[in-house]
Amino acid sequence: MNIKLKSTLSTAIAISFGFVVLLGYFFSVDASGSPTMLGVLRSFFLQGAVILAGVALLVGIVNLITVHFGKAQTGISGVDSFVLILSFTITLGISIFEIVFSHFNQGRSFQTTLWIFNNIQLPIEISLMALLVVSLTYAAARLLTRRLTLLSIVFVGVVLFLLFGTVPLVTSQLPALSSIRAWILRIPAMAGARGILLGVALGTIATGIRILTGNDRPYGG
Amino acid sequence: MITTGIVGFAFTLIFLGLIVYFTIADRKDTKIQLRVIPAINKLQRAIGLAVEAGSRLHISIGRGNLTGSESAAAFAGINILERLTRSTSTSDNPPVATTGDAALAVLMRDTLNTTYHDIGIDEQYDPTTGRLVGLTPFSYAAGTMSIIRDEKASAHIFLGHFGSEVALLTDAGERNGDLTLAGTDNLPAQAILYATAQEPLVGEEVYAGGAYLGADKMHLASLKAQDIIRWILAAVILGSIAAKIIGLDQLLLNILGASQ
Repeated sequence: MNIKLKSTLSTAIAISFGFVVLLGYFFSVDASGSPTMLGVLRSFFLQGAVILAGVALLVGIVNLITVHFGKAQTGISGVDSFVLILSFTITLGISIFEIVFSHFNQGRSFQTTLWIFNNIQLPIEISLMALLVVSLTYAAARLLTRRLTLLSIVFVGVVLFLLFGTVPLVTSQLPALSSIRAWILRIPAMAGARGILLGVALGTIATGIRILTGNDRPYGG
Repeated sequence: MITTGIVGFAFTLIFLGLIVYFTIADRKDTKIQLRVIPAINKLQRAIGLAVEAGSRLHISIGRGNLTGSESAAAFAGINILERLTRSTSTSDNPPVATTGDAALAVLMRDTLNTTYHDIGIDEQYDPTTGRLVGLTPFSYAAGTMSIIRDEKASAHIFLGHFGSEVALLTDAGERNGDLTLAGTDNLPAQAILYATAQEPLVGEEVYAGGAYLGADKMHLASLKAQDIIRWILAAVILGSIAAKIIGLDQLLLNILGASQ
């Protein structure tokens, strides 16, 4: 009974707030260009959602550490999890120290935190991005062996042609190639992209309507 | 601006009206013929195999922002997560879900909790099966790759908002020899997934999973409504082209109150 009441209440709250935000999106300003009450309410609710998302971040970090603490204890990828917990603790400790230090010294110096970000996290992420190039090249090469269909052949053919068309030495010798490449990007590629985007937009609206009418309840109501 | 708002609101109301109409009209147990989506067929087979073999399924709903338009793809992923949890409730290994957005992680865990409660197996709910793995695109990819390696899942479903980092995830799944099924709302990532995923979902197929996996009438009704709206939009586009060819475009723009 308690659960039923809770789910009915959460659904009612989600639907009513959802409709106000939706109406605020369509009617955010009046004919004179001044913000309407719906527009103001929409901004207010969205700001609230951003704050809640910030709180959810704390919950998420606790969840992340709990998972890796369990992993470190059971030994499944124990070293990885131990390194994660250690790095997290050190970074958090330094960040808190710098926040407190800058508060009492009337300054905003987060040099060590920035150093960690620029010299540890950023290079690691850039390395992963570099790995992506290898991964994508390998996937494109494997596509024809994995799924030999007309569409796959067209896909790989067009990709190779477009890549070939970006080589300056080739385009300087064959200007027609550059024009064909531009035509492909402007007409068939653009038409296909817009078609897919229309499908995505319709799917997005349908999903939104199902949530607004309480049929889909991702908030667990 | 106000005209755009009225047109947008009217469009949404028509969409809503069509969904409600088809939900009511299809109340009788009529068999609806859905177009075959190979990826969904493979997913249904993977669910069956996971239950039989006691293996795990992994679903990742991406790193879309809850307050942005990309959250719709993540909601489609959450819907699939609910279906998977119901379908594999008799399995020894519950599905594991990952995301790169903290607010979505909360919704994901709430969905898992409610689903287990609905089917009367509250004790099976483990909060650590819904995980926030990283907040930047590549930290999310690195965190998910370690789950792909450690959790020994037989299939990986990537359904939500992704960037180019999704190639690393599908690659990791494929190296394990697992089924990788993926769809996203992001256009460049869709092209990447077409090349890297074993079973890619393109365009609106991302949002249709719920209807195919036995969701209620409203999911099927929304598919029908999408089809009708799509035909209307195609007619409008073709009509606009015809108007432009015969030189009526300026007249139409004047009627609609727009200027060139």
